[in-house]
Amino acid sequence: MHRSVLLAGALLVAIGLGLFSTKTLQYGIPVAPTENLGPWQVELRISARGDGARGSVRALLPSSEGGQVIFDERSSSDRLQFSIRERADNRIGVWTGWLEDVHEVVYQFRVQSHAVTTPLPSQGPYPKPPRQLRSVWGQPSPGIPSDTPQVKELLESLRLPTSADQPARVRTLYAFVSHEIATVRSASTDALLTLARREGNGEGKERLLVTLLRGAGIPARLVHGLELREGTTPEELLWAEAWVAEAWVPMSTVHDFFETTPDDYIVLGRSNVALVEATGVSAIGHRFQSLREHLRPDEIASLLAPDNRAFAWLSLYRLPVGWQSVLRVLLLVPLGALVVAVFRNLGGITTYGTFMPVLIALALRGFPLYQGLALVGVVIAVGTLTRFALERLRLLMVPRLSLVLCFVVLAVMLFALVGQDAGLPGLFAGALLPIVILTMLIERVYITTSEEGIREALLRAFWSVLVASAIHPIFRSAHAEYLMFSFPELVIVVMGILVWIGGYMGYRITDLIRFRELAAAGAGVRAR
Amino acid sequence: MIGALRRLGVLGINRRNADYTLGWNQRRLYPLVDDKLTTKRLCQEAGIPVPKLLAVAKTHRESRRLLDQLEGLPAFVLKPARGAMGNGILVLEQREGGLWRGARPYARDDFEYHAAGIISGLYSLAGHADVAMVEERLETHPALAPLRDDGVPDIRVIVYRGVPVMCMMRMPTRLSDGRANLHQGAVGIGIDLVEGRAIHAMQRARSIDQSPDTGVPIVGLLLPEFDSILRTAVSATDQTGLGYVGADVVLDARLGPVILELNARPGLAIQLANRAGLLPRLDAVDARLGPNDGPHAELTLEQRIALGRSIAARLSR
Repeated sequence: MHRSVLLAGALLVAIGLGLFSTKTLQYGIPVAPTENLGPWQVELRISARGDGARGSVRALLPSSEGGQVIFDERSSSDRLQFSIRERADNRIGVWTGWLEDVHEVVYQFRVQSHAVTTPLPSQGPYPKPPRQLRSVWGQPSPGIPSDTPQVKELLESLRLPTSADQPARVRTLYAFVSHEIATVRSASTDALLTLARREGNGEGKERLLVTLLRGAGIPARLVHGLELREGTTPEELLWAEAWVAEAWVPMSTVHDFFETTPDDYIVLGRSNVALVEATGVSAIGHRFQSLREHLRPDEIASLLAPDNRAFAWLSLYRLPVGWQSVLRVLLLVPLGALVVAVFRNLGGITTYGTFMPVLIALALRGFPLYQGLALVGVVIAVGTLTRFALERLRLLMVPRLSLVLCFVVLAVMLFALVGQDAGLPGLFAGALLPIVILTMLIERVYITTSEEGIREALLRAFWSVLVASAIHPIFRSAHAEYLMFSFPELVIVVMGILVWIGGYMGYRITDLIRFRELAAAGAGVRAR
Repeated sequence: MIGALRRLGVLGINRRNADYTLGWNQRRLYPLVDDKLTTKRLCQEAGIPVPKLLAVAKTHRESRRLLDQLEGLPAFVLKPARGAMGNGILVLEQREGGLWRGARPYARDDFEYHAAGIISGLYSLAGHADVAMVEERLETHPALAPLRDDGVPDIRVIVYRGVPVMCMMRMPTRLSDGRANLHQGAVGIGIDLVEGRAIHAMQRARSIDQSPDTGVPIVGLLLPEFDSILRTAVSATDQTGLGYVGADVVLDARLGPVILELNARPGLAIQLANRAGLLPRLDAVDARLGPNDGPHAELTLEQRIALGRSIAARLSR
């Protein structure tokens, strides 16, 4: 290795490690995720289009209560005025102003939540709910038609326990909705229609339960919440709460829980109406994104705002959740490239395309390796056979490549259909595969097979798979992801190592294998 | 093991890329050797013999007229101008009822399809559009003919800074399907630079003494016209300005040594065929020419060939 290369590499490694150690030693940022199940970072993004009139956008905002702690709330209001109003157990975020064109408002928070059980009391007597509470949550209201004849008729037919035994009444009504009403995704959201047809969608069933509870004299309300899930966007949910003996008891006939809200469910607020509302807009849409963190809240604080302003500015934790998710993946790519460089320049193996294994590993990131590789393997194998069949038609290159591309698209489509029937959502991983790259890969496998023989083609495929399998666990490792995302300066360390590898003039492993007989002959030769 | 290779001065891929191809071959000069048509023109201008160019097709239209221009020729070679590793080369001879004999019988359609594949870039280095060229087929020199069944052997000379440093003959075999590609089972024969004598032969990394196809002994064979082979190789590389080149020479029965192609990234298997490392020879050239004095200082062609021979003689003792 030349001196200049050695020094350049050492300089980069030193800079990277210097920044890294300053952050860990001086500012106490942990080098490994300390919590398996840290807080969630959640982002609500609302876009509203206005025609120049005054208006407002309102959204239910979560508060710290029960098993959930909300912290580190931020909002960006895009030319509007933001305020928070507290009303009837709810916090409502309000953005007001002149709505011109599209406004995109963002509200972010971190939340730590754990399941809390609010059991129904087992022994009476049960105190009556206070009057004020009954007037807010006990009366019929829009969407909760608890005084209609249909509801009364049903309640009579159910022969409810006495009104003093509220827990028994709640159980009976829960059991009725749970067992007698089917959940049909496409069915109605209306409580009465759900009752009449004995089927409703999620919202319809929860509305019906609240309606019946109120009809039976028990204060009840709809809860808007989120189910946070790793790797996908959170799902917006509705469930019900009933007031029994001075506590709100959560329950859902759709998501199948009673008294205990599951882990990773968070409450956004209670309302009969939509989670996000607006006036003075011509169109509105919203979506949630979430990300699980693997740190304790105090550690996140140190990452977000270390005492050093430069580091605070460089902290990726202050970016919007969507960008963070992208960067978390992006920052892993240099590690993949490093593995490729090691295998190729120190090992000496040949793969299909320099970065093909990185791309394949990246595409299969969300799935177990064997599953993804089987998928790619089948597509490539059948694609290559197709390619051999196409050879007979003697087509020109670009249309022929495009045909193979169409074939890949169809194969991915078939995988989705088969996966749906077989209950294997992993089969849909195909849709995430780089289609164009697969097409070129098929062409290369074909050319290698016909030019250099099936043996060479398989050998190269084996090496490609080997490199991809070496990269895949890195891409899936939460630790690697945490490390690169919290300490992006490690990319500079990777660059330094790459400079070293690039300057390595010694033998590759394949050189050693290739020249092993020479080496045997050279063992007896004296130094020249 | 690493120590043994170091003692022999075996050149590895990393070092070849960094110190020799990257160090001595300027990127802008690559097109001169990557495109066989350019190489051929360069050689012709300098009066260096090359196989005769019979026809060229740059477009699919032209590829359909290609055969008409070849009417009445007993044999020819269709190849991509920018192919790599001998890929896409089609050797055809004789006509039997509209068919050409190659690896399998070729009809007019097959031929045109192959030419179209070449033009589309199927065999070119980066898949770029290419040119299909047709050359006369060379005839193996009678002295070499008994060594093989079919195919034309070629002679690879590594020329460093204008000095020939190592030489190898690649002999097609049945195993290699008539192609002079070591990877596919052609025989690599190390040639002593001083006399042009075959010193060692190997097939797929295994040492052999005689031709696997005909049983004729290889080791000890003396290459005819060896001086002329070296002169042809070195003067061809002189035309390019490249400092580290593999020149492929064919000893044709009628024409004598002709330049088949030049390679700016010559392979390392030549060391296996010669059972010797390249590094001591390359270092000896550097020691004689000085570290940074252009490709070949002020020495004449003859002086450089003599230098290469004396280095080889000294180091192989």
